[in-house]
Amino acid sequence: MRMKMVGHRCCLQAISIVFIWSQVPSPYVYAGNGGAGDVVVYADRIHVGDGQTVVNGAVVIRDGVIVAVGTDITVPDDATVVRITDGYVTPGLIDANAAIEATDVMTAPMGRRTPRAVLHDFFCPRHVDKIAEGCCGSRCSRSLQHVTGHVCGECGFPNDAPSLAVGTRTWSTDVENSSEIIPHTRVLDAINLRSPDFGRLAKGGVTTVFAAPDSSAVIGSRGAILRTGGPMRERVVRAADAVKATMGTEPSWRGGRNRSPWRNHVSLLTRRPSTRMGVAWIFRKAFYDSRLHDQGKPFGGADAPPSASLLALHGILAGDIPLRIQARQQHDILTACRLTKEFGLSFILEEGTESYKCLEELKSQHVPVIFGPLYVDAPGARAYSTEVAGARLHTFQRLLADGVTTALTANELRDEDGLARQAMYARRMGVSFNDVLRSVTQTPAQLLRIGEEVGTLEVGKRGDLIVWDGRPFDADARPIVVMSGGIIIVDRRPS
Amino acid sequence: MTARNSVIWCGLIALSLCGSAALATPPAKLALQGGRIIPVVGDEIASGTILIENGKITAIGEKVDIPFDAMVVDVTGRVLFPGMVDAHSSRGLDVPNEQLPVTPFLDVFDALDPSKLYFEDALRDGITSIHVIVDNNCVIGGVSRVVHPIGLTPDEMTQDVQTSLKLSVAPKRRSDRMVQMATLRETFLELSDYLGDLAETKYEESLEDKDEKIDVGPEEARARGRKLIRSVDYDDKHANLVKLTGGQLGAFVYCETGGDVGRAIRLAKDNGFFDRMTFVLGAACYKAVEEIKATTRPVILGPELIHRERNELTGEIIETFVPKVFADARIKFSLLPHPDGSLGERYLNYQAARCVRNGVTRKKALASITINPAKALGMNDRIGSLQVGKIANIVVFSGDPLDFNSWVDQVYINGIRAYTRDTDVRLKRLFGEETSEVPSGDEKEKVDNEVSVKDSVDQKKPTVTTSEKAGTEKKVTDESKQGS
Repeated sequence: MRMKMVGHRCCLQAISIVFIWSQVPSPYVYAGNGGAGDVVVYADRIHVGDGQTVVNGAVVIRDGVIVAVGTDITVPDDATVVRITDGYVTPGLIDANAAIEATDVMTAPMGRRTPRAVLHDFFCPRHVDKIAEGCCGSRCSRSLQHVTGHVCGECGFPNDAPSLAVGTRTWSTDVENSSEIIPHTRVLDAINLRSPDFGRLAKGGVTTVFAAPDSSAVIGSRGAILRTGGPMRERVVRAADAVKATMGTEPSWRGGRNRSPWRNHVSLLTRRPSTRMGVAWIFRKAFYDSRLHDQGKPFGGADAPPSASLLALHGILAGDIPLRIQARQQHDILTACRLTKEFGLSFILEEGTESYKCLEELKSQHVPVIFGPLYVDAPGARAYSTEVAGARLHTFQRLLADGVTTALTANELRDEDGLARQAMYARRMGVSFNDVLRSVTQTPAQLLRIGEEVGTLEVGKRGDLIVWDGRPFDADARPIVVMSGGIIIVDRRPS
Repeated sequence: MTARNSVIWCGLIALSLCGSAALATPPAKLALQGGRIIPVVGDEIASGTILIENGKITAIGEKVDIPFDAMVVDVTGRVLFPGMVDAHSSRGLDVPNEQLPVTPFLDVFDALDPSKLYFEDALRDGITSIHVIVDNNCVIGGVSRVVHPIGLTPDEMTQDVQTSLKLSVAPKRRSDRMVQMATLRETFLELSDYLGDLAETKYEESLEDKDEKIDVGPEEARARGRKLIRSVDYDDKHANLVKLTGGQLGAFVYCETGGDVGRAIRLAKDNGFFDRMTFVLGAACYKAVEEIKATTRPVILGPELIHRERNELTGEIIETFVPKVFADARIKFSLLPHPDGSLGERYLNYQAARCVRNGVTRKKALASITINPAKALGMNDRIGSLQVGKIANIVVFSGDPLDFNSWVDQVYINGIRAYTRDTDVRLKRLFGEETSEVPSGDEKEKVDNEVSVKDSVDQKKPTVTTSEKAGTEKKVTDESKQGS
């Protein structure tokens, strides 16, 4: 199990680490000492990310890669030293389902508002405290004193319903509307790598994200794995990763282009489906047709997958391209399980709001879950959804307790509701520190299949780490230094 | 619909049962024994006892003589904290404000809805005093009152009648600043005209009684008549404004931006309520921090604690943590819980923890949710800290109030136990009905596989280690009464 997690490249070191840990508790060094040009991070406590903790130790990073973690490390004079009083170190956080704001619009926290607050905002053109910029582009003369939420503070123009995914705003045409089956499109093409959203993620300690496709298509785009900071050339980890499919109501109401076909004329403007049945049908037909195509048999009809998508569909069927399915309610989760079983697919469940109701099914099919965010009153665009009423506070804890591989995500939430805070919420809901830490570092790294490179602080892995000024995920602690590949991307140290 | 109604009725009945039972039979003497006491004013007591008699705190300390007839509640391992104070909330009202811009004749009493879920949430979150006031979208709003979140009727809930009028110098919806200020000036001008006319009329009436004709000029007549006015002579529209300018009512003045602060100060000074003014500030007001400091008036910060702004030249986003600016300027401020559905910011103690995270001292952060808002409401002699003589509004936390893993275990209002987490049906439901397990909150995680854990590292943060059962109430029967 452990070897599988770390991967063959580092398995020798990993075994030696385990060996040393179990045999010689402290002090220990499991790789060489520091050298010239190294970055050395000292901390009271280093949470390695897999449940291990080093007390009063240091992490040494050379050329962006961790070369030593432990106590008793000698450091040359010219090494860059980062030392915070009472500092704690964790691996950089990984959000396995981050909705990236692609359009450089928001500066204020998004998606916290309840439906009532949203309605209030819609009629109230003037909000205090919430300032966003350029929300209505050229329509408004003043760009500074603006408002996030759903209406521009100055001109009353509805500026955005918080996006659930890349470049999507529910009212706008940013959603890819050409088909219900678009696994040939890539979200990376919609992402501005210089979007300030990455900076906000980094400030919250997130160093790696899976930029999630949006949920408006039954079989959606391919997500990308990105870093939130560091040199531009290293920012894209994987340009085309998992395909996101969606169960439930969102493919029928997201996107704003779903109208009943007029006189049976199906077009771009009359996308289907309009019910859950239709969603499942399109999902099934896509893979069925893909198989027909494989066998050289003809296929067709109104909901046939576009020919461009066939390659990707084959990839999913062959297991080359991972599949994620967003499903919130119990019956949608069960539908996802059923459909994937039918085609022999494995998948990762996203959202899983009511997954506490179908733990047995998830376990029997070995479905990992990327759960989150935690809420009672659904934030942002979810507030409009009919799928969130079953949200419970214990879901995440139950998933972990029942042995379901579960990662935690903040999705579109940032800052006060960002990933570190989601972890804090999870702690309050009864999840132990190590489980929470793992669910935002090691587990998402494994689910994204980048576990050899990031996710824990082990020798040979990338120097992505956070230095906190208190116990990580505590209400009064925050990331003081965030590093990506040994490069400081967030620095809150007093100058 | 029926199901929903029945749920509401059940809630109401439950509320009425607990409310009326609680209000009807307060235990005469109650001792909370063995908890860590954070009195906010004064030093912390690592393990102490609070004695409550007839709803007031009569003794507090490490060793307290517990009367033989007192009911003793063991709160070992728990933290006793003053009931928190929400200094500005319109969530208890059915509608946050009136369409009309100038409504000093309104009283929130008429719109207070005891069945609002907000009050239940407030209790659950450890807020024991709520200043219910119309929201910021007004020119002059109604008269406010301070309530506690238990009781069946607005009367039962009331802690303090009246208190303040709400004014806003930031524009009401679909208005602008010039119109806003013009309306405010006009209102007070009209008031002085009205008072002049009233005085003149009173003087004339007094002469008519004596069958005399008016013998002086209007100025003199007004001056003479002013002494003849009794409080019942004011009409509803002006009565509260007269109280405001006469200093009998407080004024909660909302400012949205730094520029509003100066206008608010001028308005208050011109109309005689400066000495009773409280600032209600939007995040952008931190820019007027020096001006605010010079007034020495109480400050209530809006729920949004971070101000964000984009430098239009560079495109850079500038973030300011507002309470830090006020703390650095040595201004005492009060915090508000966030009305939106965030899991974190709805808690006042989390808002305070955010301050600590951003460099405000723990002492100031704790004061900003207890004694400071009490002071802003003019009730610091009664609430806001755990001191002898104060009303026994006490929150029993499972751990440190600034630790987000702490839960509110019990809430005492006027010495009456108003909330226990063990019996919180709604919370249990949120944790899954089938398990009905609520994390006890005091399970400090066991760091598995930890290498050479030094306890000293954890000493930095106060930790609580108790068993699952600790802190649940010890049912004291006659035989086991203590201190006899």
